[in-house]
Amino acid sequence: MTKSSDLPGLKSSLSRRTVLRGIAATAGVLAMPAILPSRAFAATPGSNPGKYKIDLGGYTGPELTNAPITLKIMRQEFPPEVNAVMQAQYDAFSAAYPNITIQEERVPYGDLPTKVQVYVTSGSAPDIMMGRNDFASAYAAGQLTLPLQQFLSADFIEDVYAPLRESATIDGNLVCLPWETNPVYMAFNRDIYDKLKITPPPEVGEFDGGWTVEQYMQNFDDVTKALRASGDTQTFALAASGYGNGGPGSNYTQLESIWVRMMGDPKAAKDSSVYNTFMGVSEDGFTASGYVNTPEAAAGLANYQTVFKSGYTPTGVVPDQFRGGAAAVTFSGTGTVKRFLKTGQPFNFGMSPAPKGTIAYTTTVADSPTIYSGTPYPAETAALLAFICNDANRFAFHDAWGSMPVRKTLVDALPEYASDQRLVLGTNVADNAFGPPKSVGWFDYFSAINPAVKDIALGTDPQTRLNDVATQIDGLLAKYK
Amino acid sequence: MKFPSWTGNPTRRGELVIGPLMILPAALGLCIFQFWPLGVAILNSFRAFNPFNHRPNGWVGFGNYQAVLADPSFQSSFWVSLIYMVLMIVIIIPSALGLAILLDKRMPGTALARGAILGALASSEAVAALIWNAIYQPNSGLLDVIFQTFGLPSQPFLTDGHLAVVCIVIMTAWKDIGLPMLIFLGALQAIPPHLFEAASMDGANRWNKFWRITLPLLRPSLVLGLFMTTIAAARLFTPIQILTAGGPNGQTSNIAYFSYAQAFLFNSPGPAAASVVMMLLMLVAITIIQARALRSRSGI
Repeated sequence: MTKSSDLPGLKSSLSRRTVLRGIAATAGVLAMPAILPSRAFAATPGSNPGKYKIDLGGYTGPELTNAPITLKIMRQEFPPEVNAVMQAQYDAFSAAYPNITIQEERVPYGDLPTKVQVYVTSGSAPDIMMGRNDFASAYAAGQLTLPLQQFLSADFIEDVYAPLRESATIDGNLVCLPWETNPVYMAFNRDIYDKLKITPPPEVGEFDGGWTVEQYMQNFDDVTKALRASGDTQTFALAASGYGNGGPGSNYTQLESIWVRMMGDPKAAKDSSVYNTFMGVSEDGFTASGYVNTPEAAAGLANYQTVFKSGYTPTGVVPDQFRGGAAAVTFSGTGTVKRFLKTGQPFNFGMSPAPKGTIAYTTTVADSPTIYSGTPYPAETAALLAFICNDANRFAFHDAWGSMPVRKTLVDALPEYASDQRLVLGTNVADNAFGPPKSVGWFDYFSAINPAVKDIALGTDPQTRLNDVATQIDGLLAKYK
Repeated sequence: MKFPSWTGNPTRRGELVIGPLMILPAALGLCIFQFWPLGVAILNSFRAFNPFNHRPNGWVGFGNYQAVLADPSFQSSFWVSLIYMVLMIVIIIPSALGLAILLDKRMPGTALARGAILGALASSEAVAALIWNAIYQPNSGLLDVIFQTFGLPSQPFLTDGHLAVVCIVIMTAWKDIGLPMLIFLGALQAIPPHLFEAASMDGANRWNKFWRITLPLLRPSLVLGLFMTTIAAARLFTPIQILTAGGPNGQTSNIAYFSYAQAFLFNSPGPAAASVVMMLLMLVAITIIQARALRSRSGI
């Protein structure tokens, strides 16, 4: 056995101190996998430890006041386990800044836009209100929210996925901060398909590698016939919408517009009907006629109508239909995957891209907190928002809720987004999804078209109803000129 | 008119001071919560608004009224409002009267029936609407399950415009029938029994006693019930919002829902205020017509 002191070149340098250093270095290398995540997070734009009393993430504003103040937050209701995560974050913030009290108001998700309107009208709105990136134009035009780039580092903002960041940025101002996204694609119940001996949608990683809308319709038909033939009248081929307040016409921005805008094409000639179908509204954002009621749009909603008329999906609201095992397919996203993986999947499931029309189209909509322009405490409000959005807090939130992070460094730090086809597809969809049509009157547009879509789902002629709603939207948008 | 003198009876003098003080809270409440908002609504109906923050930014004269009157949705809502009123009166008043007569007979189960009817009356309108929403659901709702049990086809309770109007009225009648029933019951129990005994001695049958004694003596209560039902029908909102959100095709939207949509969904406070004022005018007109018609017949 050779002694270390016998090795050439080592004799003179191998002191006790060197050995201790070597042991420490080895221990450090061995311990690296354990500490790597936290080090990696500390290096990201969403983590900024040491600069303030606590890690305020991307916040770059002044130190917070010592005066006793109250910050109000309005957000959507989450399940108890997610609410607990949020509460823990408020508690941590208040522990570091005992002079700052946080009051929270929770409202049903579908009521958020109206609630924001009511609060803004009152002139006394919560400091942080949960908004959406599809309303960014209105936030900017009405100066309802504070531009956030004055409080947040450029690196932090750049870290947000480009389609989401751009949809939340108006004239260079970040008017809301995307904080989670659920790119829309399809989840299917493999057990139902196996039982019926029908081929399920393809499990691919590419956002445009899925079935066409015709293939999906044929599949829905096959599944429905097989289910009914087996005497099962309670299970459906396609689950009732769980977006917005549920059911048909639930959330045009996030769901039903897929049926319409997939029939358009952003690369077509600008004066073509196909191009207008994709755009949904004129370039100045004030005209819907000729955009939302094109023949292609009507054809898209005729497909949508068929899923109701043919009994592929229920005509009413059915909460948790897919999760309850009572539907073969649902429009869903990474949230479903993460929740199923975390809580234990109730059945074997797979994920596939959304139906394709002229193009592979899906939506990217992000819940996006805003800071009310009338807040008396802009810096403190921004700091609280940044704290909630720091790396550790976002990981805790996404772990509990299952939605996909909107910042690239967060997604990169989660290995499952690179290895699990169901999530890889989600990231590809997020990268290639489209924002809603840009109009300062998008809230009016959204409020008018949801009931129209519901009417069409329930049997009204698509072209006639789209013509009516286009005229209605034109009238509603006129006041914004 | 001769006013009492301050130097007169000390008791009267005290009443003159305490009396107005006693009604002051109620008068203030009325002014703050009824007349002031009404005044603001009337003013707003002549104003233009910033659609983003809903703050007034000018005057438009009758522009909001012109816009609302030209809107096919408003025209439809106007007629739907009238349909709600007619249907609710036709369903609630006779049903409430019938229930009151049955409960007045103190048959077995009367206490249970009374409790059930009053329980519905006491329940939240939103909760009642949610319960009925579940009952009306296609495929899984209670009514559809009953239909399926008897081999009948599924019914589009809330998705067919005409049927949805009837469904909303039935739900509202179920919820609100208790109050007119209580009024009628109280009036029935106040009719002196000797009138019926005398009529029996004169050989009157049940129908004659009802037509000649009960109904005429119930007329003041019927008038009250009619007014209350009319106003309740005009104010109908929660069941519409929860059951149909005004659809399908706006066929269940009344003026109250139209006003809500203008204000909170379409960022149009001016037209919303104009439609509210027009609803108020419509209610005043209907109430005057009802009062005159009933006064001429009943002499009250």
